[in-house]
Amino acid sequence: MKHVKTLNEKKDTMKGCGECQTCTVGNQKCENNK
Amino acid sequence: MIHQYKNNGYDIIMDINSGAVHVVDDILYDAVKVLDENEEFKEIIKGDFTDSYKEKFSDEIKNNLKDKYSHDDLCEAIGEIYNLIDDETLFSKDLYEGIVENLPSMQTVVKALCLHVTHDCNLACKYCFAEEGEYHGERGLMSLEVGKKALDFIIENSGSRKNLEVDFFGGEPLMNWEVVKELVKYGRQREKEANKNFRFTLTTNGMLLNDEVMEFLNKEMSNVVISLDGRKEVNDRMRPRRGGQGSYDVIVPKFQKLAESRNQTDYYIRGTFTRYNLDFSEDVKHFADLGFKQISIEPVVAPKEADYAIREEDVNKILDEYDNLAKEFIKRRKEGKGFNFFHFMIDLDQGPCIYKRMSGCGAGSEYLAVTPWGDLYPCHQFVGNTDFLLGNVDEGIKRTDLVSKFKKCNVYSRSECKDCFAKFYCSGGCAANSFNFTGDINSTYEIGCKMQRKRVECSIMLKADEAFSE
Repeated sequence: MKHVKTLNEKKDTMKGCGECQTCTVGNQKCENNK
Repeated sequence: MIHQYKNNGYDIIMDINSGAVHVVDDILYDAVKVLDENEEFKEIIKGDFTDSYKEKFSDEIKNNLKDKYSHDDLCEAIGEIYNLIDDETLFSKDLYEGIVENLPSMQTVVKALCLHVTHDCNLACKYCFAEEGEYHGERGLMSLEVGKKALDFIIENSGSRKNLEVDFFGGEPLMNWEVVKELVKYGRQREKEANKNFRFTLTTNGMLLNDEVMEFLNKEMSNVVISLDGRKEVNDRMRPRRGGQGSYDVIVPKFQKLAESRNQTDYYIRGTFTRYNLDFSEDVKHFADLGFKQISIEPVVAPKEADYAIREEDVNKILDEYDNLAKEFIKRRKEGKGFNFFHFMIDLDQGPCIYKRMSGCGAGSEYLAVTPWGDLYPCHQFVGNTDFLLGNVDEGIKRTDLVSKFKKCNVYSRSECKDCFAKFYCSGGCAANSFNFTGDINSTYEIGCKMQRKRVECSIMLKADEAFSE
């Protein structure tokens, strides 16, 4: 598109394992979400 | 719900419910603004956005912007906006509020412990919420027996979770070093038997670091947090030794050696800024100039009346400082001298799932703190406040009512989060900070929220800069 560049390709995570690292949650990583 | 902002020459639109981030030009930015300021549009977009509505709001945009942009350019931009809406990456609907109600009923498991192996310290940091390591109580060292019971407790209460985390914390954990080593050894033995994987971490002020300690940390600790506040005069003002002397000269060479020995990964040099160093970007630069690559500096947690506490009138200066830091981050990255700053590290493609984003840090349910005597608290910041004593490692959790209360803390339970664009990045914020400032674990700490929102804006701007620099 000419007027917009979307930075992320990925709701897609809805399909909760709890194996991610615990203490800003948003800068954590997920090993499942690949 | 969207959030539009301009930062460092970038026009950015965040779509809150999908997490999509769009970098746009001025015409698309202005056209979206027309829609977002139209109350009728915001009601209609909650339902089906039919062709007749599209035509209606297309006219609305053109009428508003006809003096600023050409008709053809406006038509093109509107077409792209409608493509994004159809793709559910702009003005997307909230699909999660319905499922958050089921989160508290999910099985309660414990997967992380903050192990207070020492309630004592060899520094006397003025802002320490542990009050020279003692947490409003008496000094004490965790015995090996209590530590082993804590590791047994997490294994027994972790359900099907495989990855378990234990942070050695204090006070100063290196003051109980032999117990730390023995507990790691015990954990390695138990993880094989129980088919678990312990991720050990340690937080230290560095005074007792030596070659033997470093070798062990590098072998066993997935991450080490090393505490220093930045420039010598800043650090030594707030982090004196018990005798009043500064700590900077003793610990900096040790920290530099540790960081190099870990190949500049898997550690954070972690500072605290107060109202005495609101120019904290200078401290981050100082860390980088000392050669550190993994950097974190964070606002002090302090009672309102403390002379070093951050006040409402300091906030604008702090927000400007985050902008300064983001520009410095870009400058050094382009010079090949980049560093990581913990709060700017948003991963737009491999971040946490929406369940994690809704439910937050897990304090009080997944994450607990253990005192040297084996008492259990919701997290390290509640330790010593007996109203929040949950149980102990011998008898387990006795205050299941409190655990339930903590589990129900999420972005939808805090009314202040409802219209906040950062809600899926901070996940409702810190229950302890909320309690300390409002008396309610399920509220928010507004000064903290303002800083968080700015950090999210800066982080995403940095992603935009990265994308356009490629």
